[in-house]
Amino acid sequence: MKLSWRLTWMVLVFVAMFGVLFTRLWFVQVAAGETYDRQADNQNVSIIRTLAPRGNIIDRDGIPLATSTLEPWIAVDRKQIPLEDEERVIQQLSGLLELAAVEVSAAFEDAGSGARFLLAAVDTKAEFYVLEHQDELPGVGIEEVPVRRYPQSDVMAHVLGHIGRPSPGDLEENPNLDPNSTVGKSGVERYYDESLQGTPGFVANQVNAAGKVLKPLDERATRAGATLQLTTDIDAQRVLEDALQEGVDLANQVKWATGEYTNLAERSAGVVMDVTDGSILAMGSYPDFDPGLFVSGLTQREFDVLLERKVFSNLAIQALYPPASTFKAITYTAAVEKRLFPDGTLSADDLIECSARLNAPFTDASQLVWRNWTWPNDDGYQDLHTAFERSCNIYFWQIALRIWNDFKGTELENVIQDWARAVGMGERTGIDLPYEAQGIVPDRELFAEWGDEQPWRVRPEGWLGGDLMQTAVGQGAVLSTPLQLATAYATLANGGTFWQPRIVQRSFDTDGQLINEYEPVAVRDIGIAPATVQALLGDMRRVVTAGTAASAFSDMGADAYRVGGKTGTAQMGQECEGVGEERVCKDRDNTAWFAGVTPIDNPRYVVVVVVEEGGSGGRVAAPVARHIMQYLLGLEPTAISDPKVEGD
Amino acid sequence: MAVIARSRPAAVSDRRRPTPDIILFVAMVALSAVGVLMVYSASRTRLEALGMDPTGEMVDQAIFAAAGLVLFFVASFIDYREWRNIAPFLYIATVLALGAVFLFAPGSARAQRWIPIGSYQIQPAEFAKMTMIMVLATVLVPAKEEGMSWRRLVQTIVVVAIPAVLIYMEPDLGTMLVFAFFTLVMLFVGGTTLRQLTVLMTAAGAGILAIWKLELLLPYQIERLQSIFNPSAADPLGAAYNRIQSEIAIGSGGIFGKGLFLGTQTNLDFVPAQTTDFIFTAVGEQLGFVGGALVLLAYAVIMWRLVVIAVNARDRYGVLVVTGIAAMFAFHVYINIGMTVGIAPVTGLPLPFMSAGGSTFVTMAIALGIANSVWLRRSPVPGETYIV
Repeated sequence: MKLSWRLTWMVLVFVAMFGVLFTRLWFVQVAAGETYDRQADNQNVSIIRTLAPRGNIIDRDGIPLATSTLEPWIAVDRKQIPLEDEERVIQQLSGLLELAAVEVSAAFEDAGSGARFLLAAVDTKAEFYVLEHQDELPGVGIEEVPVRRYPQSDVMAHVLGHIGRPSPGDLEENPNLDPNSTVGKSGVERYYDESLQGTPGFVANQVNAAGKVLKPLDERATRAGATLQLTTDIDAQRVLEDALQEGVDLANQVKWATGEYTNLAERSAGVVMDVTDGSILAMGSYPDFDPGLFVSGLTQREFDVLLERKVFSNLAIQALYPPASTFKAITYTAAVEKRLFPDGTLSADDLIECSARLNAPFTDASQLVWRNWTWPNDDGYQDLHTAFERSCNIYFWQIALRIWNDFKGTELENVIQDWARAVGMGERTGIDLPYEAQGIVPDRELFAEWGDEQPWRVRPEGWLGGDLMQTAVGQGAVLSTPLQLATAYATLANGGTFWQPRIVQRSFDTDGQLINEYEPVAVRDIGIAPATVQALLGDMRRVVTAGTAASAFSDMGADAYRVGGKTGTAQMGQECEGVGEERVCKDRDNTAWFAGVTPIDNPRYVVVVVVEEGGSGGRVAAPVARHIMQYLLGLEPTAISDPKVEGD
Repeated sequence: MAVIARSRPAAVSDRRRPTPDIILFVAMVALSAVGVLMVYSASRTRLEALGMDPTGEMVDQAIFAAAGLVLFFVASFIDYREWRNIAPFLYIATVLALGAVFLFAPGSARAQRWIPIGSYQIQPAEFAKMTMIMVLATVLVPAKEEGMSWRRLVQTIVVVAIPAVLIYMEPDLGTMLVFAFFTLVMLFVGGTTLRQLTVLMTAAGAGILAIWKLELLLPYQIERLQSIFNPSAADPLGAAYNRIQSEIAIGSGGIFGKGLFLGTQTNLDFVPAQTTDFIFTAVGEQLGFVGGALVLLAYAVIMWRLVVIAVNARDRYGVLVVTGIAAMFAFHVYINIGMTVGIAPVTGLPLPFMSAGGSTFVTMAIALGIANSVWLRRSPVPGETYIV
């Protein structure tokens, strides 16, 4: 008897078959066992998550700005719906919710087979229908879902921000996030999202394949997010927002009256900040929006229209404009502190001629002829105080020329810019809101950098004397957000302490227990001499009583002596679109600024107002700021009307 | 192969007092015992939930096992050569029984595989596997040992094709594939030339292609076959569901398993047909890789014994019968376990001695009984030569 070659081959085939089985068994159970184990756990444990209500946001007096309420939603558990009943359930839900069946069906598809998801909010009638017809609607239930509400509708919208479903990026960053939950997309909602989120709860049950609960495994109650108390005041905020809108109306009214304009004004922004600790009392941006829209859902078209109008941008921290003459307060204090006055003068009290134009003695590519805003008229002999009051460019240009002549090419040529940065310009203030813009304070170094990286932005010659002259009056490359200008004025007014602006002051848990006190942060103190501060404040008062804003503040009568400020009228340059031969450029109207301090003899608040392409600062922005300062002083704010006098 | 060849001296020395193949029997009993336990573990929660006796399905299986063991001995005592004499009758009975299932078809039911007898149902296709092995061996015995005539090859194919087509019409794709496999192995061992084998395989390939193209397979059969190649892309709750679920169950068992009666997947109804086609998932999940490997080892032992018996058989008929049994057995084990671990299509072939069900158990027990009968009668009559 022998083992024939045929039987040998047969045995080899059998051995191979068993070998394959053994190897595969090893792979599935030993090599990849853990992966399968996890899948098994996923299957036989059903976890029903309950969303945590977002924390409330209240103003400094406790008035609710954002709250969460529990509202009934239809929750669908596809696992519990027999496949053959699904179509009928979809039809029934479609009728109940008055939604097209295809939409309901699409929601089922999106959630995936076997998923549990929230379908739609329901009214009481539909809620009872579902509860009474459980046998007809397997897998359909009612769940109380926390919904964000904004009781003040559009008031403080930009500060509060809005919420939405987590983006793919959010989910990647935080894998524990429930895709059904909401996250802050902008404003405080975004910056403090972690505190506001709270902890979602869950009920974990062991289930069989049909989704039937066999035994409870674990559960955790939801914990609502923290309540945030802002530094803002709802009443001040209302006054500011109304005034900002009226500012835009005023700008357009002036444009119609004078006929001198290219574009209508559309946007404005304002900040009211406490100079003693950086707390934001009010912050507004016009146009605004109702954050509640994002809760009920916007169509793409609605969203696009709003986006086109830039309503979602918080212009107070995101928009950049040349600060123009408001910057003169910075040049002013730098000149006094560093004792850098125009050639031929020894102190702030020495006079120079504020002529209609200045011929600059440059031999480089700089502009040679510089016109004052009063051109073709000259404005007499002025010292620094009068130059500030009258916003005389000639005087401030002469300061720049003095610096250029004495210190060109040395570290000291940046004396104005270094001072500007020290009071808060050119870098983010660090306010607790997202998307803050940085601003620009230009110097030789920055121009060299741009020359390398963005050559279209600068002349090939680089940093020249003309650029320093522009900088001294807040034009040229200088850009600032309204908030940055507010911090600069606050720092100048309080004697040199740069307080980091802040919007949230405390957080509480749901029992009202204090969780966190957000202390004000003094970033630095540059120690400005009290005499300098007093001189500046006095000259700011002269601006509103006798200077460029006098007409705008005339309504206040003697009370105008209790406040002070500085106007600014920024030249905006052209707005260009497209590239190459298709490039179309359009002139833009001046942007109107006013930066004020109140009360002027004991500074408490700084008020900054900007009306984009609004025209003259003294004519358009000053009345808006005056209205707000009247409110802050406890006076009856008078109407925002055209003072009929231009002021730079 | 040493382990197989070395059994020769024993074969000669046992001549006067033949003893049954104890190892084969022990392996079979061990598998049956584990099978009964697994059927219990996989059915008790479901039966309990239905308010029935949780041991119900286990007791049934134990009865089948006991009947199977009895039939093992009955088959052992019958001289296997007797079957050769009644081969034509076996064949006719098989074809008739396979045809009969269509008479008992309950209306429009999709699968018609059973003949009801009392409260039980008989699956003629199960028994047909064994009778066809005996019939085929009879047909192949006269063939030349090397180089079969084309005529005999065609004859063999025709003989197996009639019941195969009936089974296909039930439809029972799995059993038809079993037929194809053991026919192929028996033809090879029976002496087909490589050329004939090549022609046969080519024809089979063309046939499969034709079936595919002519859409003779039912949609669910195609889906199941397809799901093996790309399980996750298919609807996880549809065709690939069974496969994925059983793979998850087995994989989650790990090295030592979750412990008897602690299998969440099998006990919570995630795995379908868990006492019948997917009984091996209960082993894999609860007893782990160690348990699964031991079960696989027991099947390997049976395979080893079958090969030893084939090598030691006294005549060509014995060799062919045991070869066919071994092929059928190996195919069942490979396809069934392979399906639960995701390397074979879900075709519904039961796992011998473990899957709940009487017809299969009895068929397999009789098959091993016949092999044992070959073993008992391995010693040659003086003057007779081995024909292998």
